[in-house]
Parts: sequence; structure tokens; C-alpha cells
Amino acid sequence: MNRLSRTASAVVSCPWLILALRLYIGYVFLAACFHKIVHPAMFAVDVATYDILPLAVINLMAIVLPWIELAAGLMLVAGFRARAAALLTSGMMVVFIVAISIALARGLHMSCGCFASQGAVEDPISLLTVARDAVWFIMSVWILVFDRNSFGVDHLVERLSAWKV
Amino acid sequence: MTGWKRIVRDAIVVAAASAAVGILFNLAREEGIPLVAESPYEIFVPCPEPLGEVDAVLPTSGLLDQVEIRAGRTLVIDAGSSSDFSSWHLRGAINIPFDYIEPVADQVIRRVASSRARHVVVYGDGADPDSGRELARELAGRGISNIAFVEGGVQALKSARGAE
Repeated sequence: MNRLSRTASAVVSCPWLILALRLYIGYVFLAACFHKIVHPAMFAVDVATYDILPLAVINLMAIVLPWIELAAGLMLVAGFRARAAALLTSGMMVVFIVAISIALARGLHMSCGCFASQGAVEDPISLLTVARDAVWFIMSVWILVFDRNSFGVDHLVERLSAWKV
Repeated sequence: MTGWKRIVRDAIVVAAASAAVGILFNLAREEGIPLVAESPYEIFVPCPEPLGEVDAVLPTSGLLDQVEIRAGRTLVIDAGSSSDFSSWHLRGAINIPFDYIEPVADQVIRRVASSRARHVVVYGDGADPDSGRELARELAGRGISNIAFVEGGVQALKSARGAE
């Protein structure tokens, strides 16, 4: 039993698996932020469509959120403070899942606005959208819990510091 | 500082710095938006109506005869606008203008349901999408059975009438 749990532990914390998850989630967030940064007005409409936030904070959210996505995506890909970035992506995924669930519960037929401002016809929200975000949330938490700086900028800095000493 | 505290601190610092960069970038660019929206966003999010399956019928002269012979047993619905209906409609047809935004009113559904017709035939503009087909699907989705739409819509009906 001990051997089995040790094997399972080795698999879930495998550095190569964590690296793959980091690169994948980093890519997802980089892809998601691009359109929102280029077209803030369109993203503000997407945020307003959810009809959850008060008018006073819709634009602020549309301006700020894509830049947090950009920073988190770059940090995950580069391996710089990856666990802090994973904490940010986990938090954002929770927000997205709650927002989409509320929209679905209200019966709104709309686009999620996750990657580009598509119409409800091309990219309607559904339970599949919630499931997809839930998978990305689990991946983010996985990185948050198991990442040990095995690859990336932090790893290089650690090695350089050790070499100097 | 413990590992988790450091992670939370880093996340807060990154979020705050990113927010600051985002706000500055937005202020500096021409396509920037105001930090607070000046007026409410006008959002149109339709709640989808339940849609049913409907059959297509061809606008042959036989169909026109059938419809007229079975007058009383077949309800013919013109899905065009009131003005289009005034300028031309099939004899005995009633007008229910189809609207892509507004669902058919409950009282109209009740009127169709209480007509005692065994069959309902809808014709629309024949465009793509065809307003007749869309209205027929909406009526079917709201409980009207034995409903079909005329393939090609009003233009096809006029041609069939002219060919007689």
C-alpha cells in the first residue's frame, strides 16, 4: 500500500507533467488575453452581457483582467513564480465558472467571451464550457500544489545562486 | 515568511502591477475606454424559444387545392408583415407576423390551438432563414402539432398560383 501511494505521489508531482500543465495553462491564458487587450471595448460588452457586475466596474474589469491573464500566462510559461501565477489562474477560473453558471441558470443564450467576441451562434455557453473551465481549474490547482520550480527562470536563478555560493 | 504566504503575496503583487499596467496602457492608447462607462450597455441576449420539428411542403398547385378544399380543417398562416399580408395572401390565411426577437404572444398561440384545425400550414418570406419555417418551428415547439411550412415561401406560392 505504501509503495502504491509512493508511486501515485511520484506521478502526480512528476516535474515533466507539471511542466506540461504549466505550458498548456500558460498558453490558454495568453491566447485568451490577446483579443481582450486589443479590443477592450468589445470585451467590456462581453462583461456587461453577463449582467452580474455593476456598471461602475464593468470597464475597469475589462481593462484590468486581460493584463492579469497576460502576466499569469507569461509567468507559467517562463517558470517565474509559477505557483503564484497558478493561484491567479485558479482564482480567475473560479470567477469564470461562477459567471457562466449564473448565465446558464438564467437561460441566457450568449457567447462566453473567453477567447474572442464571437456571437452566441458561433460560441454559445453550455455545460461543456463549465466543464472545460473546471478542468482548467483542476490543472491550475495541480500546478499550485505540486510545482517545485524544476524548470524555468526560478530554477535557473536557484542554480546560479548555488553556483556563486 | 512561509511558502504559502509568499505565494499569496506574489500573486497580489502581480495582480496589482498588471492592473496598473493595464490602466496606464488604456489611458495612453487611442482605442482606450473610459474607466467607468458613461451610459449603460445596451445588451441583447435572447432567451431561446423551444423549437419543434416541422415538415416542408412544396408549393404545388395541388397543395393550394388541398388547402382550399380542406378549408376549416387546415389553418393557413402568413408569417409576413401586416403590409405584405395586405398586399397579397392566400385565401383564408391568417396573419401572424414573425419576429426574430419577440416570441409569439401566448394569446396568439391559444388562438391557433383553439382553431380546431387538423393541419397547420405556414408560409413566410422564403428567404434564408425562412420566416415561415422559423414561425412553424416556434409554434411546434410551443405545442402546436401537425404543422408544416411551405418551401420557398410566398414567392413560390405566387409562382404556383401563376402557373395554374
